[in-house]
Amino acid sequence: MRVIFFAGKGGVGKSTIAAASAWQLASEFRVRLVSLDPAHNLGDIFRRQVGKGGVWLSDHLLVEEVDLKERTKVYLDREMSLLKETYSYLQVLDLDRYFSLLQYSPGIEEYCLLLAMEESIRSSEKFDYVMFDTPPTGLTLRFLALPSITLSWIERLVVIRRRILEKRETISKISRVAGEVEYREDGIMRRLVELKERHEKMLKLLNSENCGVVLVFNPDPLSVKEAMRLLEGLKTIGLRVNLCLQNKVRAEDGEIAQRTEKEITPYVPEGTKFFRVKWENGISQDTNYPLYELKTDLITPLLASGERS
Amino acid sequence: MHRDRALALTRLECAELENVFALLLVGSFIGFPAPPSFIALELMPLMEKELAIFGRRAYDSKDMLGELLGVMGVD
Repeated sequence: MRVIFFAGKGGVGKSTIAAASAWQLASEFRVRLVSLDPAHNLGDIFRRQVGKGGVWLSDHLLVEEVDLKERTKVYLDREMSLLKETYSYLQVLDLDRYFSLLQYSPGIEEYCLLLAMEESIRSSEKFDYVMFDTPPTGLTLRFLALPSITLSWIERLVVIRRRILEKRETISKISRVAGEVEYREDGIMRRLVELKERHEKMLKLLNSENCGVVLVFNPDPLSVKEAMRLLEGLKTIGLRVNLCLQNKVRAEDGEIAQRTEKEITPYVPEGTKFFRVKWENGISQDTNYPLYELKTDLITPLLASGERS
Repeated sequence: MHRDRALALTRLECAELENVFALLLVGSFIGFPAPPSFIALELMPLMEKELAIFGRRAYDSKDMLGELLGVMGVD
């Protein structure tokens, strides 16, 4: 199974390219296309109601849209009920209000995105390709960086926790007083180890050869600047870029398109494939034009860029 | 006697570590760099003891020296 992220500035056509790629790949492979962008438009592109649980567009193509708000709510509700059990005596403090604020706490949205991505990948054994349409650049970089940031925090916490447990054991050994609890089984340590294993697994997957980014940009300076920032961010995270795809290239853009590619080249590893998708007039004129049916063949560049199944 | 003092000292050390552990997790309240909030969120249901120590330490903080001297056996 291969994982592809479509990333780029808003409006460059990542969703359209993702949809078209998925549509084309589904003629040969089993494909799952998941939108992680809070402002979904896969449904608009395929002109189908996607809804909960996604929609099968053919025997080989499943399209889904992650409802981030709903997911955040479910996650926080679960944590809140756990917390309420432990700290029931705090109920005078109006925990509900505190928790309703937690959804705006930095990091929660990213974490829920990460959980959604993890779940999609984990449940995709039957698919050859899992493709993600990503949210805006900033959010994408933050949620993709989360596993490694989390791991370094967990490692520090584990060190302290281990020392606490050692001390507790020493205390119980010295005192040997009845009623002193033995601390062999520590819930916090167990939880930390669980979190650690989960994030290690995710990091390994993100950095593996089976996982890559298709960078989408246009022959315009703003989307190129953002592409560069994105590439630098991806390098730090350790995610590989498989294909740099220049979209909406008009016939007269030849020179600009070339310059754009030249500007991006220093930011990608040597040998990274570039590809251009021509501007298709029909799209802008005909409102009934099926956006996912791009005339350009996308399978060839995707497979050639190491996305071979 | 010696055993009691060693025990008291270790207990203090342990409580201090537990305090630090809690502080790391909820440090954002007092402006410390904090871990991603979901780590705190996932551990919080298990941290009643640490948080109690955390609160007590804050309360006792005006008499740290007294506590230290007490543990060392200075009257």
